[in-house]
Amino acid sequence: MSKTSQYSAASNGSSTEESESSRLELINLSKEFGQGSERVIAVDNINLSIHPGEFLTLLGPSGCGKTTTLRMIAGFERPSSGEILLDDQDMSKLTPDRRPMGMVFQSYALFPHMSVYENVAFGLKIKKLPAKQIEQEVGFVLATMSLQFLANRAPHQLSGGQQQRVALARAMVTRPKVLLFDEPLSNLDAKLRAQMRIEIRQLQQRLGITSIFVTHDQDEAMSISDRIVVMRNAQIEQVGAPAEIYLHPKGIFVADFVGRSNFLAVDKVHAKKKSGKVAIRVLGKDLEVEAHESALQASAPVLLIRPESIRVSKSKSEATTISGTDGRVLNVVFYGEHVEYSIETEKGNLVAVVSDPKYDEIVPIGQMAEFSFDQERAWLLPADA
Amino acid sequence: MGFLNLQNSHREEKLNVIDVTVPRVVKKLRNPMRSSSKVRLDRVTRFVLWFTLALLAMLIIFPLGNILVTASRESGREVFAALFSSSVTQQIVKNTILLGVTVGLLGTSIGFLFAYAQTRLEFRGKRILHIISLVPLISPPFAFATAIIILFGRSGIITRDLLGLSPILYGFPGLVIVLTTSFFPVAYMNILGMMRSLDPSLDEAASILGASKFRVFVKVTLPMLIPGIASSFLLLFVESIADLANPLVIGGDFTVLSSRAYIAINGDYDVAAGAAYSVVLLIPGLLVFLLQRYWAQRRNIVSVTGKPSGRISPVESKSAKIALLAVPFTVSFLIVLVYITVIVGGFVKVLGVNNTLTMEHYSYVFSGIGNEAIFKTTLLALIATPLAGIFGMILAWLIVRKIRRGRQAMDFLGMLGIAVPGTVLGIGYAVTFNHTTKLGNFGIVPQLAGGGAIFGGALAIIMVYTIRSSPAGQRSGIAALQQIDPAIDEAASSLGASGVVTFRKITLPLIRGALLTGLMFAFARSMTTLSPIIFITTPDTPIMTSRILSEVDGGRFGNAFAFSSILIVLVLIALGVINLFVKGRPTLSLTTPID
Ligand SMILES: Nc1ncnc2c1ncn2[C@@H]1O[C@H](COP(=O)(O)OP(=O)(O)O)[C@@H](O)[C@H]1O
Ligand SMILES: [Mg+2]
Repeated sequence: MSKTSQYSAASNGSSTEESESSRLELINLSKEFGQGSERVIAVDNINLSIHPGEFLTLLGPSGCGKTTTLRMIAGFERPSSGEILLDDQDMSKLTPDRRPMGMVFQSYALFPHMSVYENVAFGLKIKKLPAKQIEQEVGFVLATMSLQFLANRAPHQLSGGQQQRVALARAMVTRPKVLLFDEPLSNLDAKLRAQMRIEIRQLQQRLGITSIFVTHDQDEAMSISDRIVVMRNAQIEQVGAPAEIYLHPKGIFVADFVGRSNFLAVDKVHAKKKSGKVAIRVLGKDLEVEAHESALQASAPVLLIRPESIRVSKSKSEATTISGTDGRVLNVVFYGEHVEYSIETEKGNLVAVVSDPKYDEIVPIGQMAEFSFDQERAWLLPADA
Repeated sequence: MGFLNLQNSHREEKLNVIDVTVPRVVKKLRNPMRSSSKVRLDRVTRFVLWFTLALLAMLIIFPLGNILVTASRESGREVFAALFSSSVTQQIVKNTILLGVTVGLLGTSIGFLFAYAQTRLEFRGKRILHIISLVPLISPPFAFATAIIILFGRSGIITRDLLGLSPILYGFPGLVIVLTTSFFPVAYMNILGMMRSLDPSLDEAASILGASKFRVFVKVTLPMLIPGIASSFLLLFVESIADLANPLVIGGDFTVLSSRAYIAINGDYDVAAGAAYSVVLLIPGLLVFLLQRYWAQRRNIVSVTGKPSGRISPVESKSAKIALLAVPFTVSFLIVLVYITVIVGGFVKVLGVNNTLTMEHYSYVFSGIGNEAIFKTTLLALIATPLAGIFGMILAWLIVRKIRRGRQAMDFLGMLGIAVPGTVLGIGYAVTFNHTTKLGNFGIVPQLAGGGAIFGGALAIIMVYTIRSSPAGQRSGIAALQQIDPAIDEAASSLGASGVVTFRKITLPLIRGALLTGLMFAFARSMTTLSPIIFITTPDTPIMTSRILSEVDGGRFGNAFAFSSILIVLVLIALGVINLFVKGRPTLSLTTPID
């Protein structure tokens, strides 16, 4: 299919064109920098298959190898070993300009000596498309992104959000098979960031371009991705849909990285064959909870309870000692739509977020509180790692 | 084991209720555009301001004004008329422009290749190449010209003895070679700074959009370097038309404005004509200075937003590398050769003719007037450099923090000392300070320069060194102060520090590095400058560079080489000493860009 027809298909607003989207595979991919004592393993033997049209996010703390992975895909870094296959075609011999990919940079990397229009047209001009067609396609993309009024501006005359849009338009206009994003939203303020997330996601879905998005912001990853790859120390820790990563993390690292967590040491553990659940005893109560497959083998499994799964009420039992589900409120912060507690319990401190608070049910600092949670909302996972 | 409470640290701050209002106040204070310190000047500041203006008037405005007055006398007017009627005068102007343009083009190209090699190529000896390329910036005048004559002249060691050629070096070709090798480092530093500041992800963005390495360079990198390249060309143009030492030594019959002005004054004793020629020289100098500021402002556009990221992928093709490195390595080799010639030349009878070792040049140089010149030049430069530093800093402080209206004008006046060609400055000082300045019958400024001046004319020389060096202090001061958030000053004063204490304890330590580096090169410049000095030096206060000129003039190259070697050693010692004060390696940002 020619460029033009591909393009007009998109401009007709047709839905995701699965058939045209590309599959990207990373096979045993590794990257080392430096030698001897300065050797750094930036990416350690990762395997990943990105489905056609998928929006995949690489999430992880700074230095875990996200950028390096992305730059190997783009061709800016040469892998130390491993393969990168795009629709079964090996990319590793190709320089970046030969790879059918687009990239949005953290610094936007808009050409300062070109207008918005020229920036967006750059890739098409390089491809030597007829002038008429360039004009059409650039015009369309600018219109889609509400940038047409800025066409003649220089990049430095744009706001951060506008620059971001231009960078996106420039990457998309050439209809790349893969779109790469390296923390593109980190220079925007919170509000714009949330807005751009939605915009990027919608555009990506409409065009069906296979996309890889790098971020260290778990909210961003959750809200934008089909799947999240959590990375740690140059390796892949867990791959899964946002809900899976958040609710069923494979270990403490992932659980903690993607959200706030309470981890409870459990006293007694044994599997219930029939339900697939696990019977445990914690805080003097017997519970049946869902568990990660490796939790039972672990030497000391812990129970994950997200702060928002915990309910807090004034102590009915008039208890004065901290024990079981009775605790003392160490701190209360009122945010309007929710209240955040820090509660001292028999084994340590616990964070609870109670949403939709009722005026006279807020437990003040220093008072005893009773807390509880549904066993369906708890998740047993291995503590080691 | 109890509860593990591992929360993300950045989330935790939400727990802290009390803090909410504090960041807001801080934010307001941090706004760098706010300038509460510029409300009405206090008495001390007003005094400093007037004192500074008076000094500027004395050091630069008055001498420049006097040139105009002098040039408007009859023989000066004749020079101006001759610009339009006399083919001889027109030829001089043409020569000057031809020289400026040629050196500008060649020097910028070479400087560009050096900068390209530093930023885009991986090769052995990169660091050495960088250091060698900076050497000409602190070289004494004549060192190049004389060494080149000895090596490549009609009876040159290389040209005649090795190759059997006898080229005519005197005149245009010699001047171009010497001036290009002397001045290309200015372009190099200028372009290097610019190339380093380019965001590598711009290159990456272009390449992932499908542009090959070559096209990335032509379409993205090069256009962004245009301001740097253009300003380098202009700087070299001005430097080379303003130069006096080399046209005198190697210019031959190729007369340019600066050498014509010198001849008018020292040969024809026609001060008005000399002043007139120097006015003609002044115009392009000032124009370029203003243009240069314009380019510097445009330069800011290059760095748009966000963190630069990515990295430059170096050129890997072997043949391309060899082609790109050929010129830088040849030029570096030439520089090394020149230095070897200068040093060896001081220790042999007549280099290339009679190569017996001798100490006679050094014993000549270290005796009598030579000795005195070494001592006095160093002393005067040592006095002037800190003065220039303080003066430049005060100017910077006034410009950045104190005055609101007229800061552009103030900055311009402060920079005039370097914007004005040395020849022009020297003539200005000569016509101004070679006699007592009178208001009516009342002498207000005593004779500072020339025979019979107070302190043997030393004062005028210190003044010249100071006004030529203070722009370096001013530039680094402005750059540093602009980076220091006024809130830091305010934080200090809110803790009870007075204005002076704040400056001494907070501001000064913060900018010390930049200032010392700037001054280090200002000192080197003072020690090696000739063109302004030659018009005001007296036998009472001999200056090394002008001694070197007379040795070269008399054909005593050995003495000149010995002098030059000593000058080099002195400059190196000074650099080393100042280096001790600045932690770590000296930041070699010599071309404090004029912005
Ligand atoms: N060009 C390089 N040279 C040496 N080390 C590098 C280079 N690029 C990245 N690294 C190292 O590789 C590791 C992974 O870096 P990066 O991929 O940038 O992490 P992330 O994007 O996840 O923050 C880090 O330890 C980093 O210091
Ligand atoms: Mg990164």
